[in-house]
Amino acid sequence: MELSFYLYLAILTPLILSAVIALASPVLKEKSGWVALLSAIISVGSILMVAFKMELPGSVVVSTEWIPSLGINFSFLADGISLFFGLIVSVIGVLVIFYAIHYLDRGTRHARFYSSLLLFMAAMLGTVFSNNLILLFCFWELTGLASFLLIGFEFQDSSSRIGARQALLVTSSTGLLLLVGFIMVAQVSGSMEISELLTSGLPLEEHKGWLTAAMCLVVLGAFGKSAQFPFHFWLPNAMAAPTPVSAYLHSATMVKLGVFLCARVFPFFMELELWPQLLAIVAFGTMVIAAIFALLSHDLKAILAYSTISQLGFLIGYYGLGPVTGVEYDYLHILNHVFFKGSLFMVVGIVAHATGERDIRKLGGLMKRMPLVGITCLVAAATMAGFPGTTGFLSKEMMLKEIFDAMGSHGLLGLYATICVIVMSVVKVAFSARIFMNIFMGKEPDEIGHHYHAPSFALQVPPLILAACAFIGGVLPIIMEKAFALLTVPGINIAPGHLVIWHGFTPELVISTSMVIVGLVLYWVGQKTNWRWADIPKTFRFDFAFEYGLVAFSKATKLITSGLSSDRPMNYLPMIFAFLIGLFAFFFAQHFSSLDFLRVVEWKIDYLRAFVAALIALAVLGALILKRWTTQLISLSIAGFLTCFYFVLYQAPDLALTQILVEAVTLIMILLLLGRFPKSAERGEVSKRCTRTRQTFNTVAAVSMGVLMTLFVLMITVDPHPDPIGNKFLQQTVPLAEGSNAVNTVLVDFRGFDTMGEIAVLVIAMLGCLGLLLRYKRTEEEYKAGPMGPPGFGIDHREEGE
Amino acid sequence: MNAPNSFIFQAVVRLIFFLINIFAVYLLQRGHNWPGGGFIAGLATAISLILLSLGIGLKSLHRIMKIDPARIAFTGLTIAVLIGVAPVLFGHAFLEHFSVHFQSPILGEVHIGTALLFDSGVYLVVVGIAAKIIFVLAKSTQGLGGLVREEQRRYSSVRERPIEEDAPDEQMEPESRERKQ
Repeated sequence: MELSFYLYLAILTPLILSAVIALASPVLKEKSGWVALLSAIISVGSILMVAFKMELPGSVVVSTEWIPSLGINFSFLADGISLFFGLIVSVIGVLVIFYAIHYLDRGTRHARFYSSLLLFMAAMLGTVFSNNLILLFCFWELTGLASFLLIGFEFQDSSSRIGARQALLVTSSTGLLLLVGFIMVAQVSGSMEISELLTSGLPLEEHKGWLTAAMCLVVLGAFGKSAQFPFHFWLPNAMAAPTPVSAYLHSATMVKLGVFLCARVFPFFMELELWPQLLAIVAFGTMVIAAIFALLSHDLKAILAYSTISQLGFLIGYYGLGPVTGVEYDYLHILNHVFFKGSLFMVVGIVAHATGERDIRKLGGLMKRMPLVGITCLVAAATMAGFPGTTGFLSKEMMLKEIFDAMGSHGLLGLYATICVIVMSVVKVAFSARIFMNIFMGKEPDEIGHHYHAPSFALQVPPLILAACAFIGGVLPIIMEKAFALLTVPGINIAPGHLVIWHGFTPELVISTSMVIVGLVLYWVGQKTNWRWADIPKTFRFDFAFEYGLVAFSKATKLITSGLSSDRPMNYLPMIFAFLIGLFAFFFAQHFSSLDFLRVVEWKIDYLRAFVAALIALAVLGALILKRWTTQLISLSIAGFLTCFYFVLYQAPDLALTQILVEAVTLIMILLLLGRFPKSAERGEVSKRCTRTRQTFNTVAAVSMGVLMTLFVLMITVDPHPDPIGNKFLQQTVPLAEGSNAVNTVLVDFRGFDTMGEIAVLVIAMLGCLGLLLRYKRTEEEYKAGPMGPPGFGIDHREEGE
Repeated sequence: MNAPNSFIFQAVVRLIFFLINIFAVYLLQRGHNWPGGGFIAGLATAISLILLSLGIGLKSLHRIMKIDPARIAFTGLTIAVLIGVAPVLFGHAFLEHFSVHFQSPILGEVHIGTALLFDSGVYLVVVGIAAKIIFVLAKSTQGLGGLVREEQRRYSSVRERPIEEDAPDEQMEPESRERKQ
């Protein structure tokens, strides 16, 4: 089999099976999890096959045309970084789906869950493998959409809905900035293929300002997805999702897309001056703030969410300060985070599931009840804190070593980064200790005993595997070293140096040890004071401000709508008419000669047409004079039907047919609607009559508007267009569209795409109407009168007093 | 709407219903070469449905139709999109149409093509939407909930309630009870 086959298999399997699960939900029900698991395993296998088929380190591009004229193609790039992220996504996917199969309760909508999860997985794999900037953007937004569905999975809870909305708005709007950034890059470089950009590089010299702006937009996109300051608020709220989702999307994979993006564009932008400044200042700042917030939180998932933001901040800042040749230990840091954070999330899920409690202050002493989970948590927390024997230790040693190097190469920025990293590490030790100690050690509160039910063994396996990986990787780093060396991508990263557990007494070890001690002291202080001071300051809860902003936005739009009074045409139509009339009256007064065309007009009377016109005029007059609105309406629609005569006279049978039918349907629709109005209004009673002056003004405006329109029509017909487009359609309809009715061939063939768009809009409009129609309102009296029929049908029409 | 107590009206409406629909299908199939087409035919069928609802009443029409008109609209849209996408899979342009012409003994010259299928999609969309909206409006103007319970869930958010919070639910009940049976 070809390499491209496996690559497509990896991405398309979850995509197709997602649709299959959604459609076959009544059959599959709770079995859909196993189908999803199969799909994830196929993806893992295919990505491994891709890795074996290609020469590593190296890169392969697989491409199929999509819109070649715009340079947009289904083009995929398999290189070290995409394989690395692809493997993380699919392997963690397998673990998370296995975990979810045992986690979700029987009553939940399994098919919906796994369908969205697989859609997300396909979108993630698509994003990391795409070689085309636009394709990358499409998959990028698809991940946001799938995440919206998953966060809002329990849509009965308002917190779920709010969290989902925040996540969607933040990630998709920053995603749009990303699109703009990509287009700007494509404009100056002339290519949308990442592989081509990597070889040719960007013209940084000529288009410095332009590319700096593009870089800022791309980085903002990454910040939004990875929840960096000031977008840090959406991630903790996204924790309303079921725990498997939090473990998968919001720690291990989706939020890493920002990191992935920074790695992808690192070779393009790294030489810009703003790149290290922007990335390091924002990301390292976020890292410290989020770490402190993690310490100040009490909800287990919030602690993990903030610590995730903190770690993402480090990873992004790491790319910011990377040297020109490429960074060294990015894979180590990312993998380390995946191990411990995925594991911790699953542990927290088990704890919350078993005890029904997520507040860390109300937990404790669970070691006796679930020892295996406790050990898993111990290893994972130790990894997070960076204790020796885990990948966390290696990661931390390398982090310190590199950050000290950065002090030399980046000056003040390096110093800032160093301080940030040290503060973050200290705080991280404290909340790592808190997570393990306060859940599993100490005295067990009484309430837990009542709710407790033991988790199944299978549920405990996935976090255990991840924790075991962290441990094995920490003891035998040589395995990882080999893999990382194979996955290096020139320009982004270089093969890591030799990883060993023991470096001897280096300055890093001394600092690392002292950080652990200070962190533990911080934890001890917290315990002594009972964490009373721990609360996130309101100033930094941007989610509140965001929600207020949304409310204010809808209020503002309502204000504008009511200000324009678009629901009362009588308020604004006279104004618009008066303006138009004034404008053209002024124009014609100034340029009197422009009315000369009236002399050229051939004045002759066709009696048939004149007769129809007179009838139409009469019908309109009827609408004005008649009192009851049913009669008014009918006389108005007579005018409409009479217009059909004109279409027939001008030989447009299609138009005439359409006009008749539309007129009929509209008439019925309006008659039905009028049934909703109170009876007094139906009889022509108006609550507020308009004044005589207003009436005269309206009449004058209406008549002058009619005169103006007549002038326009005459003006246009006197001087017809020399080359109307209609002739082309008439000539081409038989040879090109194989149909002799040009009206129809335009609709279904020449402009078929428009028609498709229109019917889609029709369906959407119908859905909107149905939603609105659910809200109906009548007065109290009418309620008492009981059901009433539409007037004018003579059916079921209940008169008053009956 | 309940049916009027007029046998003549009912009988005439039933006859006209079939006549209009035969005409609609005729309009649909000739659309590519002579006046007609999916939009017009769709409106004609929608009018026939409205007439029928006036003749036999909305409730019996519901019983007869069985399918939710909204589903007809979705089917139409799906057909149109599939007709658009299908040529792409065979390496042609999006929405490229193909047709065959042949002489047949009874019908004379026959043209069949994907354009007709696309037009049928348009036809179904128009029928479905016009019928759905008009039925819902007709019901709601009589103080009934325009939509039955399960539809309320489908077309609006869970939080949405009628503006009349204290609306007596019994008014909607007969509908949903009828559906369950």
